[in-house]
Amino acid sequence: MKNILTIIFRLTVACLLAGLVMGVAFVATNKAKKHNIHVNEQKVMLSLLGYSAKNPAPESVAMHEVYRYLVGEGEDLAMGYLLPLRDGSFSFVTIDLTGGFVAQTPVTISTEKAAETDERTQAIGAAIGVDKALRYADQTIVVTNDGKRMAYLLPGRFSGFKTFISAILALDQNFTILGLEIMEHEEDPGLGGEIVQDYFKNQFKGKPLETVKKLEVVKTPLPEEYLKALEAEKRGQMGAEEVARIEGQYKDNDIYALTGATISSRSVTNGVKGMVKKFAYRLAILDRVLVEQHIATPF
Amino acid sequence: MATDKTNLQLVVNGILNENPIFRLVLSMCPAVGISTTVMNGFMLGTAVLFVQVCSSCTISLFKNVIHPRIRIPTYTLTIATWVTVIDMVLAAYLPEAYAKMGIFIKLIVAFAIITMRLEMFASKESVNASFWDGIGMGLGFMLGMVALGFVRELLGMGTLLGYDVLGFKPLLFFVLPLAGFFCVGLMMAFFNYIEIVYKRAKRA
Repeated sequence: MKNILTIIFRLTVACLLAGLVMGVAFVATNKAKKHNIHVNEQKVMLSLLGYSAKNPAPESVAMHEVYRYLVGEGEDLAMGYLLPLRDGSFSFVTIDLTGGFVAQTPVTISTEKAAETDERTQAIGAAIGVDKALRYADQTIVVTNDGKRMAYLLPGRFSGFKTFISAILALDQNFTILGLEIMEHEEDPGLGGEIVQDYFKNQFKGKPLETVKKLEVVKTPLPEEYLKALEAEKRGQMGAEEVARIEGQYKDNDIYALTGATISSRSVTNGVKGMVKKFAYRLAILDRVLVEQHIATPF
Repeated sequence: MATDKTNLQLVVNGILNENPIFRLVLSMCPAVGISTTVMNGFMLGTAVLFVQVCSSCTISLFKNVIHPRIRIPTYTLTIATWVTVIDMVLAAYLPEAYAKMGIFIKLIVAFAIITMRLEMFASKESVNASFWDGIGMGLGFMLGMVALGFVRELLGMGTLLGYDVLGFKPLLFFVLPLAGFFCVGLMMAFFNYIEIVYKRAKRA
């Protein structure tokens, strides 16, 4: 009996110590980690739009963040969008599931604070009333050039082989895929982990909405010339025109699966398919509401 | 019971006499699953080296207060703590390295080699000896992984460190996990053969 008590005591102490060490490490590193993730996201987004350190984005390009929420009131569920307005303030627009406009509520929050999930959710909650259940769903970044829409950036998460894969997808104004970047994943290195490689993720580039809607994974080997075009950036043997020509030739094809990682390939393909399809559907509804209600957004 | 080996002997012991992959045959899952390329092998090896050294020192330091009946949970807890701490520190201060290594570090918690070294060595020896043993085991694992990765990458994909050296893919089969077992077996036979030849030469 005494033995058991000693064991319990020592194990508890060991757990507490371990927890303490991890907690201290977490507190000490969390801020830097978040900052790194943010910086990296910005860099990835710009590179997906084709800008880099050598070719910086012009002043006329602006990014506008739209946050989507699920709003529950009793049994009813609605979609809520936090939209930036032309005068710099924010507005929360609720739309019911059939696409009908419900309400528009001004939200007082600064642009910096709107980027913080917790503070943003609180501000919206205060604006629309605390009796409604509010759940953050996702965000979309509308990129404009001189006030005209240029592209959409969709950070998203879908399930992979073992756990979630988070990615950023860039679409042009016609929902053609501009590029895909995998941000975080835990697929098996060397197998499913290959989803981050150019020869896989670049296959999505240039695929129009109609193709994406019925995109599948095929297990035939990747043609040699297509592989060269997909890895052109890394290999540097092929001119941009040649790459564009070959990629154009394959733009309506399905996705070639990774060797030994069909599940991962399929997960990414289905994830991208779902993101594009849902986004195109939701944006059509949101745009209609914006026009009907004369809501002045900067995009 | 202190070890009578010098620090250098401890390191060499981990690399040769008790190589985790080819002699102790421990941690075969990662060895088989991940050693598909030289780079992957090196990354996982580095991560294991760090965790092994940190865990060995910790356990050696606390060896007198760990209750013998709960030593395995304590070891696992120690390893998990170090894995988490290293993961967070890398993510915060070395984002470039983390982008490449992050995925390997999270895999380490359940590695047999680390637990086994804590049980067999660190829980009995001084902190200094445990440190050098950890280095030896980590290096042994890393070199074993790199050797496996070398063979598998060359035969499976025809590349080395991502550079195309052969220009064609001789046996794609070698990249798949199954071939990892063949590869480990064949290389183990090869190393055993070298040892036999060496011993025979020494005796003659």
